[in-house]
Amino acid sequence: MTVANQPAPRHRRKWVHDWPWMVAFVVPALFIVVIVQGYPLLFSAYLSTQDWILTNSPSSEGFVGFGNFVKVAQNEVFQRAVRNSIIITGSAIVVEMLLGTGLAYLASGSSWPMRIVRTILILPLVIAPVAAGTLWRMMLNSQMGLTNYLLSFVGVKGPDWLGNADWAVVSVIIVDVWMATPFVFLVVSAGLTGIPFELHESASLDGATRWQSFLRIDIPLLAPLLLLTLIFRMLESLLSLDSIYTLTLGGPGYATFTMTYYIYTLGLRSFNLGLAAAASWLFMAFAAAALGFVFWLQQRWQTSQ
Amino acid sequence: MAPSSTLKSPASGKVKRSGHSRKLFLKILRVLVLTIACLAVLIPLAYLVINSLKLQADMYTTPPIIIPRRITFEHFQTAFGNPKTLRYLSNSLIVASVTTAVTVIVSTLCAYGLARLGLRARWLALIIFVFLFIRFYPRITTVIPYFLVMRDFSLLDTVWAIIIGHLGITIPFVTWLMLIVFQDLPREVEEAAMVDGAGPLQRFWRVALPMAAPGVASAAILTAFLSWNEFLIASSVAKRQAQTLSIAVAGFVTDKGIQWGPMAATAVIMIVPMILFALFVQRYLVRGITLGAVKG
Repeated sequence: MTVANQPAPRHRRKWVHDWPWMVAFVVPALFIVVIVQGYPLLFSAYLSTQDWILTNSPSSEGFVGFGNFVKVAQNEVFQRAVRNSIIITGSAIVVEMLLGTGLAYLASGSSWPMRIVRTILILPLVIAPVAAGTLWRMMLNSQMGLTNYLLSFVGVKGPDWLGNADWAVVSVIIVDVWMATPFVFLVVSAGLTGIPFELHESASLDGATRWQSFLRIDIPLLAPLLLLTLIFRMLESLLSLDSIYTLTLGGPGYATFTMTYYIYTLGLRSFNLGLAAAASWLFMAFAAAALGFVFWLQQRWQTSQ
Repeated sequence: MAPSSTLKSPASGKVKRSGHSRKLFLKILRVLVLTIACLAVLIPLAYLVINSLKLQADMYTTPPIIIPRRITFEHFQTAFGNPKTLRYLSNSLIVASVTTAVTVIVSTLCAYGLARLGLRARWLALIIFVFLFIRFYPRITTVIPYFLVMRDFSLLDTVWAIIIGHLGITIPFVTWLMLIVFQDLPREVEEAAMVDGAGPLQRFWRVALPMAAPGVASAAILTAFLSWNEFLIASSVAKRQAQTLSIAVAGFVTDKGIQWGPMAATAVIMIVPMILFALFVQRYLVRGITLGAVKG
């Protein structure tokens, strides 16, 4: 709060005497966040150094230092989960970015058919991920599923989506794409409406094709937005648990165990609190690095504008 | 590709004609792609609704029955006849509405305070980073300690444990969103009110809040969706009494098998009100989702 008391630029000065009020406005939210997020975070850091399996003992069985981290990193299921996470998130976000951007271009305009199309396309955003997993479990089921039935009309014999280890990974990617492409679509659509119409007009007067003006005008202008969207999507996809839970339960075997799902089973099925905390802090380090990068980029763009 | 266009203008030059048919081709392609995209969204949803109305005997057939000859409300009766489902429904409603109300009040105040505190840009950036971080870090990290904390306060299996857990996510998120809104408001109006002798509370309530109202609506709607759909926190602290609909839907999936009918019916109960709500408030929803990304 000392910051507010320091000499501020003139236009700020008259606000300064209000600061006790403003602090009072801020405190309730900070209080809740510190209690609900800060304390468990510290607690989790402590847990990561403890040997504690809740089903064996109601309290910790001692300090093990970095033992849990070593144990997790060497665990085969964890390694497989990391690999799965990279494959699933990596392919899903590439498809989502391309598809979402493409659809945003195709569905632009203010005519009523386009407005209806846009309304339909954003529906998956409001559907609970648990329900999305459920409905795709029905769609992809090898007996009652609609997907293979529809594929048979175009002469394709569909695979046993959820029963085969490789196709189960593809299924998880499909559901991620189904749920999240609308987000990319929506954000890029909003970004497109922000590009001044005159830019395209003068470009076409200068003889530029649509493709050229897309590459030279839209892409540079949308680049910050696209990068932000990509990284937001990457983090959310890595963190997704609900849809995998209802779609595959991590199976068959460990085929669709992702990092989040692995930590979930470790912590809330096996109740191995120490290992789960260590695994989640490894995950956290990665997420923090990704977020720090986004934030650094954002600040750079804001100051350069 | 487009014979009709060539027939209509037989006299026109070659360049113009190929340009014309190319345009028509692109137009057809556009309609085709958009139709497929819409079907890809709608077909799975329709299939879920159909399955919730199918007879048990029609459920597990190859090829699947798309338009059932006989429909039944048995699965909804099973769902609604079960006092448990009603409790899940009311739990979901309580959690979503309390979470939304508290979040909007606390976060809007906090965002206004932060925006008007006269903080240096660097401090503000740090606070925004912390909030953004809380929005995106692996939530699974805090879920297990949170479970232990709730156990120690003997709040396990109560809606309060879920609500408090949700608040931990929604407050930082909405504060971040509202901070963007308040920073965009013109300060001159408030400064004029200040000259007229309006205190901080009055300025917030009478001047800033009405201007920020659309943003508040967006934030409230997003919070309600987030809380209604949330699974991880709810499932970690609620095992029986306090279960919400999302846990109920996930609960039909077991290692032994799946009760498709009741699961589909419960999923429909969970999804359909939200879709109708989304159609109703679409404008605010879209604004809320894009605000953070576009302005962020």
